[in-house]
Amino acid sequence: MQFKTNRLSSVIEWGSLLLSTAIVCFFIAVIIWEIFSKGFSVLSWEFTTMVPKEGMTSGGILTPIIGTVLLTLITSAFAVPFGICCAIYLNEYAENTWVTRTIRAAIRNLSGVPSIIYGLFGLALFVQALNFGTSLLAAGLTLGLLSLPYIITTTEEALKRIPNSTREAALAVGATKFETIKDVVIPSAMSGILTGIVLTLSRAAGETAPILFTGAAFYINGSSGYVNQEFMALPYHLYMLSTQHQSIDQVRPIAYGTALVLVIVVFLLNLTAFYIRYKYRKDEN
Amino acid sequence: MNYKSRITLDIVFKVVFKATGYLVLALLGGIFAMLIYNSISFFLDVKPFDFFTGMEWAPTAKNPKYGMLPLILSTTLVTFGAMLIAIPLGIGTASYIAIYAKPRVKNILKPTIEMLAAIPSVVIGFLGIVVLSPGIADLADLPNGLNALNGAILLAVMALPTIITVAEDAIHAVPNAYKEASYGVGANRWQTLRKVIIPAAAPGVITAIMLGVGRAIGETMTVLMVTGNAALMPTGMFDSVKTMTATIAIEMGEVPYQTTHYYALYAIATVLFFMTLFANIVGEFFINRFRKYHAV
Amino acid sequence: MLGAMLTSCSKKDNAIKMKGSDTEVNLAINLAEKFTELDNEFSISISGGGSGLGITSLLNGQADIANSSRPLSDDEVQQFKDKNIELKTVIFAEDATAFVVHKDLPLEEIDLATLGKILSGEITNWNQVIDIDLPINIYGRQSSSGTHSFVKKKLKIEFSQAAKEMTGNAQIIEGVKADKSGIGYVGAGYVAHDPNANTKIRIINIKETPDSVAYSPIDAETINKSLYFFQRPLYQFVLADSWEKVKPFIDFEESKLGKKLIEEHGYYIIEK
Repeated sequence: MQFKTNRLSSVIEWGSLLLSTAIVCFFIAVIIWEIFSKGFSVLSWEFTTMVPKEGMTSGGILTPIIGTVLLTLITSAFAVPFGICCAIYLNEYAENTWVTRTIRAAIRNLSGVPSIIYGLFGLALFVQALNFGTSLLAAGLTLGLLSLPYIITTTEEALKRIPNSTREAALAVGATKFETIKDVVIPSAMSGILTGIVLTLSRAAGETAPILFTGAAFYINGSSGYVNQEFMALPYHLYMLSTQHQSIDQVRPIAYGTALVLVIVVFLLNLTAFYIRYKYRKDEN
Repeated sequence: MNYKSRITLDIVFKVVFKATGYLVLALLGGIFAMLIYNSISFFLDVKPFDFFTGMEWAPTAKNPKYGMLPLILSTTLVTFGAMLIAIPLGIGTASYIAIYAKPRVKNILKPTIEMLAAIPSVVIGFLGIVVLSPGIADLADLPNGLNALNGAILLAVMALPTIITVAEDAIHAVPNAYKEASYGVGANRWQTLRKVIIPAAAPGVITAIMLGVGRAIGETMTVLMVTGNAALMPTGMFDSVKTMTATIAIEMGEVPYQTTHYYALYAIATVLFFMTLFANIVGEFFINRFRKYHAV
Repeated sequence: MLGAMLTSCSKKDNAIKMKGSDTEVNLAINLAEKFTELDNEFSISISGGGSGLGITSLLNGQADIANSSRPLSDDEVQQFKDKNIELKTVIFAEDATAFVVHKDLPLEEIDLATLGKILSGEITNWNQVIDIDLPINIYGRQSSSGTHSFVKKKLKIEFSQAAKEMTGNAQIIEGVKADKSGIGYVGAGYVAHDPNANTKIRIINIKETPDSVAYSPIDAETINKSLYFFQRPLYQFVLADSWEKVKPFIDFEESKLGKKLIEEHGYYIIEK
């Protein structure tokens, strides 16, 4: 094979790769700049602690913030125990039968299912069949289902990293399998598990499609957080302010503020996950 | 705690853990059953042929029409446009990070790209409305910039992190032996990249692309906010289009439960489900070949 | 965390779900804000989405009140009957659509036929109507607007392709203020209550035929007597089962304070 070592052409080619990277970084920069610069002026202590007033053209976004927090709590209350138990089953108990392989395939497929289909399922199951109506509970459980595959996968990977020798040592001193898992494996895998949970929650907090018809409302008075009622949430609030509001121009600054708060929340959660991961790697070494 | 209760606890939890595994199966089964059940209810009212080839989606007209061709074409157009942008940029960036970037640059780039992946879709859609729409409108002299092009660009931005991360892993995983052999016969970095590394990483790169495609097809909020939502047969990138996901999102709230229109939306969701399933299966097929290929 | 879950678990049975018309949603929110100041046991969630969505939500059992800028269609009446759902209807305001032109355009009144021809694009220049040579610019709303459909239906026309689609009353007024050849349609009360608007734009009076009496949409007596061609009631459909729960809020809407808020939003109250 003859290779042409042409200096100019390899510089051009290297340049084109650099250009792609630069374009991608440009996108990221535009996004961050736009949201932070226009949202920052709206952000203030009052903004995050006041409820929306005057048809949401003034006041703050306290109600959507509380809604998102409660929603995430319900999501984790459901998905975390469920997901960890399933990961434990897959990694600690399951044998390589076709049932296990089917379960694993099911999890992989579930993680690829579009979020709107989870919304439809939540509508059919929680809102209609179980008669929770459009409510915080229905939406939280729907998001919980959405988060399940991801928690299972990340927990399983964390469990895999614990060497079998650790488990065997525990069994050798007389622990039952359950006790081994409870007192040895899980604590050792905790940082990986926590990372997965935090990342999943950051994704759930930003989801809009599954809550569209399971309980998000345009406005609720007061900051009520009752599970059988509708609620406001940050992503839905942003969606409404930017597309459906009567005075779109008037509320535009609040929309930027909402976007900024949402992005900050998501970034903080991600940074927390990074930190946990980083500390874990440090401890391991 | 005495021995007997410890053993009991052990058995109880074994059952609990096993049950959650089966519940996951029940979940996927439930979703699938719901989709199929409602789609069948739909096909009792409307012929499948009319559904798949009909060119008019007008479920609230006096003579309701449930042709999903405009919707499926809209989704295809936007996804295709997104991939046109995201694939070259994604592979290029992945190559740069894996081969050329110094470790310090890498340590900044990789987390930054992960952060991009974390940005909620509604925020990206919002930016499409406030930044991209006026931009496109100015450049192309249109009354507004809510069209397929806007959607394609935003979907590309959302698919890029997935494509970059998976492709970068694939490129990075190509054994050093290949690279050294290539340098050994006198190729430089670029030639090595193009003729040796990328082909070796091809299965992983294809996985990356298919995962990106799956993400783009299933994305709802972004396209809902910026593509204009006109259920017409698309003729070009500057047309207003209505994707399958946007149709479900917009119309589900307005439809009485258990009517033909309601079932029609589930039928669309079923097609959507199979499309993303297909993209994911193809991606998985290639990731297995990738693993086998590098069983060195 | 468990404690937070438990405390937020307590149910509240007097919560009201209100959905429907986007035109009415802002008014509903304002009414709810004011009512909450008076009664803090009151709990309501409000969403827009269109009159159609409101009515559907009633059918689906996901709402107590539907705001609607149109009456129920025959199909809908049948659907409610089929499900054995009883409804109570409240008319809480009257809405009138005003047609506006620039102050300098010498047009004071117009008959329906001519108006129809202008809006459908049959007449394209003002010189076919009055003595000014200017091409006509139409400022209207998008097709999802209840007002857009209302005007279309009343005049029995399809809007001209050249009609501009603005997203709200404010935009239409801004457009006509700046355009000497513009004509647009907005909520009458909106214009009447905006002190600045009258300096730059004029509301034209509507007469049914070239020879009949021309009526103004900002004359309360005209509206009361239902003499203005483009007026319509704004409805709230309430589930009969939820009536007890909802009644305090309905009473508030009909109280003096409620009526004042409604008028401030640009609607009329029909004195019965």
